[in-house]
Amino acid sequence: MDNQPSRLTAIALAFMAVIWVSPFSWLILNAFNPLSTGQLEIPKAFGFDNFGLAVSGNAGRQFFNSIIIAAGTATLSVVVGISAAYPLSRLRIPGRNAFLWTLVLLRMLPSAGVLVPLYFAAQRSGLLNQLGVIVALTILNLPFTLLLLKNFFDTVPIELEEAAYVEGASLLQIVTKIVLPMSRAGIAVVWFFSFTGAWNEFLLPLIFARVQDAFPMSVGLYAAFGQQGAINYGFLTAFSILYAAPAIGVYFLLRRNMNTGFAGVGVKG
Amino acid sequence: MLKRGFLTTVAAVSLMAAAALPAKAEISIMYMESFGSLIESGIAKFEAETGEKVNAIKLPGQGYDQRIALDLSAGTAADVNLIDSFMVSELASAGYLLPLDEQLAGWDQYQYYLPGLLEVASYQDQVYALPTDTDVRMLWYDLSNFEKAGIPTPWEPKNWADILDAAQKLKDAGVQYPFQLPAGTKQAEAATMQGVYMALLGADVPEGDRNRLLKRDTNQWIGDSPALRRTFELYHQVYSEKELNPADLNYATDIGAAVRAALANDQLGILASGSWEDACLWDCNNPPSREERDAQVGWTPWPGSGEPGTKATTNISGGWTIGVNTNASDKDLAFKLVTTIFDEANFKAWTLANHRMAVRTDISESPEYTADPFLAKATALAADTTGRDTIPGYQTVSALIQQATSDLVDGVSVDEVVQTYHDALVDEFGEEKVITYE
Amino acid sequence: MKNQANPWLTGNLFVLALGMLPAAILIGALLYFTAWAFAFSFTDLALVGKKSVEWSWVGLENFERLFTRRGFLESLWTTVIFVFFSAIVGQSVLGFLLAATLRGTQSTIRSVVEVCIMLGWLLPDIVAAFLWSATTSQTGLINQLIVVPLGFPPINFINSYALLVVTIANIWKGTAWSYLLFSAALDSVSREVVEAAKVDGATPFQRIWLVQLPIIRPHIATNMLFITIWTFTYFPLIFAMTGGGPGRQTETLAVFLYNQSFSRGNLGFGSAISVAMLLIVGVLSLFYLRLLREPK
Repeated sequence: MDNQPSRLTAIALAFMAVIWVSPFSWLILNAFNPLSTGQLEIPKAFGFDNFGLAVSGNAGRQFFNSIIIAAGTATLSVVVGISAAYPLSRLRIPGRNAFLWTLVLLRMLPSAGVLVPLYFAAQRSGLLNQLGVIVALTILNLPFTLLLLKNFFDTVPIELEEAAYVEGASLLQIVTKIVLPMSRAGIAVVWFFSFTGAWNEFLLPLIFARVQDAFPMSVGLYAAFGQQGAINYGFLTAFSILYAAPAIGVYFLLRRNMNTGFAGVGVKG
Repeated sequence: MLKRGFLTTVAAVSLMAAAALPAKAEISIMYMESFGSLIESGIAKFEAETGEKVNAIKLPGQGYDQRIALDLSAGTAADVNLIDSFMVSELASAGYLLPLDEQLAGWDQYQYYLPGLLEVASYQDQVYALPTDTDVRMLWYDLSNFEKAGIPTPWEPKNWADILDAAQKLKDAGVQYPFQLPAGTKQAEAATMQGVYMALLGADVPEGDRNRLLKRDTNQWIGDSPALRRTFELYHQVYSEKELNPADLNYATDIGAAVRAALANDQLGILASGSWEDACLWDCNNPPSREERDAQVGWTPWPGSGEPGTKATTNISGGWTIGVNTNASDKDLAFKLVTTIFDEANFKAWTLANHRMAVRTDISESPEYTADPFLAKATALAADTTGRDTIPGYQTVSALIQQATSDLVDGVSVDEVVQTYHDALVDEFGEEKVITYE
Repeated sequence: MKNQANPWLTGNLFVLALGMLPAAILIGALLYFTAWAFAFSFTDLALVGKKSVEWSWVGLENFERLFTRRGFLESLWTTVIFVFFSAIVGQSVLGFLLAATLRGTQSTIRSVVEVCIMLGWLLPDIVAAFLWSATTSQTGLINQLIVVPLGFPPINFINSYALLVVTIANIWKGTAWSYLLFSAALDSVSREVVEAAKVDGATPFQRIWLVQLPIIRPHIATNMLFITIWTFTYFPLIFAMTGGGPGRQTETLAVFLYNQSFSRGNLGFGSAISVAMLLIVGVLSLFYLRLLREPK
């Protein structure tokens, strides 16, 4: 599978990429059109006015807040998830699969129903702030995180751990030197998934934030809808490009790290 | 690899989160972005006058109603809040809002408020909030398409038959959206207010509230009535039987923009909407000149159905209000902030600059206000306006009405839609709170 | 093969339990919150007003209304179509095909395709909704580039084919997740196994079908479960694009739930709807769980 793809595959992929990316023409054309109307049209003028508008105001602060919320949630989810998923994967606790699946299912209950008790709990514990948003999102993520991480740990052959133990490695060494590196791709996926989920979260930060300065970019985006019914499409499109870009950057940073896969880590332990 | 640096991350995150905590301000206010220009100048003046620091929380319109309800019920709400008028009675009935009568009595500008407009911000005869502005509703129409369809202008329909007749002519002349009558759940209150209620008020005689959703003297919802059936029949004619309008404008991602585009492309015939369209049919913030607008569209009051004894024209009004939290730490200071925002100089400047309809006679009778021909004419309509049925439960009933129009768009029969609506009312309020008019 | 065989585990049971503690606490919190949501389905709890404070128990009334009132069953059918075509057929199959094909392709093609599908995933829902309604509008990309040049009058896609449009938009938006998961899962398939199959003369199709698929079976089941749940409850894109309309054509259960809980303000009925959704997906997931079992 490491050889060049056939020409046919390449063409098919290129064709798909074109179809996939073509709707973005609307986004780009409007973002660079200072007189944007939300219609698909070739702009009469071309300029960065919309981007200027998008970064003015509170955008810097909001960007900072988004990073805190997203990175905080992703990191907390992964750390809590790893330390629980490893034992869940290795110890034969009866009913663990059914339990994890049930948890995931329970997450289907409406955020509406969960939101109200969640809000009151956060208020009582003094967490109506960004830390509260991070903890709340981690709680809501945890069923997915646990199930995914456990699945990835399951694919790590236990023989490797045995070999390491025979050579005198401690539990901590076994986990950090063997299990984590070999599930690197999976951990990266889980981290990235939590990151994007929190990056796009709108309702929790909106409701938890007590001050204007605590809003992330997902709330800032709605400034485009400020004036009674008239949407500022230039702002909306430019802002959402700026909003999506960091998350895409994060994806590529992560991908460089996770691409090594199984063969690279080797069986040496 | 990911684990390293975790502790530092957590420490950093907690620190930053702590830094983002608010400095404890004496008084706070929460409002929606679109009211920024009214409220922010009021805050500035308040801070200058009292020396207090105001913690202002400006939110986008999205999610605003949810946050208000949650904040007030959890006791975490700001001291002063901007509230949609239809929520006032709900919130007041749950005890979240402070009755203002006592303090209002000591405010010299209170006398100018139009009593009919205070009604929407009242619950059990006490005023809980002050309105920011009001509106009236009417039928807008595209002059060039009327000419194309051979309908003389100015158009003065006398009853619903005249409207349907005009819509049919427009359709025959190839106009894509002959009669845009708001329907469905997507635009929420707009379907109830601009569509159903405007028709309902003219569908039967006003006696005994036969032309309303609520029998107001007994606080019973009307689950079935001739007026309701006639109104639903109108929807049925427009969207199903005569196909006088495609439904998609009601479900567009950006309804306002879709309507504007339809007007710009000469696809619009009649539009049931309100006074704000005088600007918002184009660009709300930057409309074309008076002459250009008048050359493109005209408007006429909604006529009654033409049934004997019904009103000749109908109207209903809504708007936003500002109220005080029951748990405000300093209630006098909170009230002072409200009156500073509504102080004549500040309020009048905003009303005029934003072409809002005034809620106070000292503003509506001022020469600057009466100089605007549209506002003057529209304000005449406000003389015979009514408000929504502002008792707790209205929001629910309105949502049920919107669902009913959804079903009518889908072609469900009027009988079945009335039955569904009646059953849902009984589900919500109980048998004894729902009546039927024969 | 009991724990005795793994002394680094049995000797550290306390440490392992300690590691599970934070997750256990958070899960406890989650269970507490969801218990509330469950309990609400037997009440007449309202979003605002008196019944938001003084609610009362109503027994099974909310559940009876799922079947005696218009809305639930219609929405269920819409949801089944939407989930099947956009999540299971669209995202999952397409995501796997892309992951299997791109694995081993040179990095430029892979990067380009990845950026394309990732852009959809990362674009905020509300913007994706605008983008797709602009793309399918009468003056949009499809009409301007395909329909009109072919000599047809422009088609008002959202008016005529609303469910199809939101299904395609959701495939576009969500395939990245399945792709990511399957890529990572395929990465964990040892290359030696694949090489061995190749030496044995397996065709590319056989290598995928007989070697790789069985190994990543748990991931397939997990992915099915996840995307079924997400798509079942997925709300913002459809709501922003069509609000469930025209009429009720795209009113999936998630939109129906929102309308009942927030517009109508009946949180009790809303909770009953979501409990019913949970039961339905619970049954589906029993089917997925069978996928997890090792083949004989």
